[in-house]
Amino acid sequence: MQHYLSLAIKSIFVENILLAFFLGQCSFVACSKKVETAIGLGTAVIFVMTITTPASWFFYNILLRKGAPLLMWLNVPFLDLSFLGFMAYIAVIAAMVQFLEMFLDKYFPALYAALGIFLPLIAVNCAVLGAALFMVKRDYNLMESIVYGASTGMGWAMAIVSMAAIRKKLRYSNIPAGLEGLGIIFIMTGLLAMTFMCFSGIKL
Amino acid sequence: MRLIADLFDKVRPNFEKGGSLEFAEPLFEATESFLFTTDKVTEGKTHIRDYLETKRLMSMVVLAVVPCTLMAFYNTGLQRLLATGVANPSILKAMGIGAMVFFPLYIITLIAGGFWEVLFAIVRKHEINEGFLVTSLLFPLILPPTLPLWQAAIGISFGVVIGKEVFGGTGMNILNPALTARVFLFFTYPSNMSGDKVWILVDSAKDKLIDGFSGATPLAVAAAETGGNVVAALNKAGFTYSKLFFGLIPGSIGETSALACLIGAVILIWVGIASWRTMVGCILGATVVSTAFNFLAPASTNAMLSLPFYYHFVMGGFAFGTVFMATDPVSSATTSTGKWIYGILIGVLVVIIRCVNPAYPEGMMLAILLMNAFAPLIDHFVAEANIKGRKKRATE
Repeated sequence: MQHYLSLAIKSIFVENILLAFFLGQCSFVACSKKVETAIGLGTAVIFVMTITTPASWFFYNILLRKGAPLLMWLNVPFLDLSFLGFMAYIAVIAAMVQFLEMFLDKYFPALYAALGIFLPLIAVNCAVLGAALFMVKRDYNLMESIVYGASTGMGWAMAIVSMAAIRKKLRYSNIPAGLEGLGIIFIMTGLLAMTFMCFSGIKL
Repeated sequence: MRLIADLFDKVRPNFEKGGSLEFAEPLFEATESFLFTTDKVTEGKTHIRDYLETKRLMSMVVLAVVPCTLMAFYNTGLQRLLATGVANPSILKAMGIGAMVFFPLYIITLIAGGFWEVLFAIVRKHEINEGFLVTSLLFPLILPPTLPLWQAAIGISFGVVIGKEVFGGTGMNILNPALTARVFLFFTYPSNMSGDKVWILVDSAKDKLIDGFSGATPLAVAAAETGGNVVAALNKAGFTYSKLFFGLIPGSIGETSALACLIGAVILIWVGIASWRTMVGCILGATVVSTAFNFLAPASTNAMLSLPFYYHFVMGGFAFGTVFMATDPVSSATTSTGKWIYGILIGVLVVIIRCVNPAYPEGMMLAILLMNAFAPLIDHFVAEANIKGRKKRATE
């Protein structure tokens, strides 16, 4: 239990996928204009990541890695399909997002309307793919990959929600013309990443 | 005074629109309003009548920092004299040495930061704000006394430009500029900003040091303790509670003395500038978490966990940060409930960073900066809750 808790804290704060690895920037920048939208997108990302990371785990461990059960059953133990990982995970993520889209459209139409174009964009959110790849690289087991997926999503959601609130305050700022819009957002993201470095030495 | 006022009136046309020195108008305005009360009123539709304008507010903060500055002079000199084996150092001599450390840092901060401030004011045609006087006074006080001057210049340049001016100047920034500058330096030049070597102004090659000289701050001593009893380890290193409280310990130039910060806190709360909610919140948060850690301590090898809460208040930058940094009206939360939450979270975070993060024994500045980033979110949720509550009352 304690192991999973420290994994969660590590992936939310210490190795925040957005502020330490700078993954998932595009939707972070594009969708952080309103706090409500940010919360919606953040929730969607948590949801998608909690499903896709273990789904990718199944793909990798049953089909792709060397000596995977399916490959053994086909009697090709020499085959290592992990080079297909990128394709496989992207397919899994895209399918999951399609499913989520239909689900939200039916049961939460308000949220669906608010997210608009950005929901399909989760499919190309590099944080989601990044989580799948980190999961493979760090050799997590199934339970770990579920915890990792969920908490990485939470870290991303926390970052985008706090950014949305900061942007709300920035509306009253007098930003130089050349930096308005994206420029100041990137500077602010850098500053936010610097403030998150206070966690960077924690060993769990 | 009349003479100077006449002089100002005489040269004024040069600085007004169309005058030959039009570009330097912000400089003229700043000099004039530094010496005289300005006759300007707010532009635009909204007006607030109040005696407290930014100039007075910032002057009061500067006044409240004075005890810390004096203490900084004394303690910086005292630590050097003690380390080099002077038995009964005189107060004046110690203050002389301290002043020799503080003023170069202060002047370089004023020059480097002031340069950017003036440049932005001239190019962007806004006024030079008195806020910079506070930033430039607070910044040297949170630096180690051995910091090279060029690093202080780089730090304050980052703080003023990236921390404040790109957002439009005083009142529009998200993070506290002085803290941004310090944290930037902390991560850029860690060997000049942390460790045991930087907190006392001695040159180990030239100065004859006393036996057993370590130079470690109380927090470093506590963090390095592996046995069960932190308080005993602190006492053994010579850090009794009264010494910690008066601030006669190694540390950043001006943040060691809890007593001086307390005087500053009384001034700030009395004149109504700093929020007592934030300060009480910080203390409350730190108390609760460190007490909770005390219960966890027997089961852990981490001796910092067993440090009693009242020690946290007087070590490192806790007091200084609580009084002067966390209460910054621009970067802190602005709603009353928000200030409570903001303060409590700072207190919680600082104890967590100090106890759990072995990389940084001092966590106050980092904790405040992180909460600066979250302050708008806290405000947002408090405001939303208020709106919901009112709607509910209105429909009932």
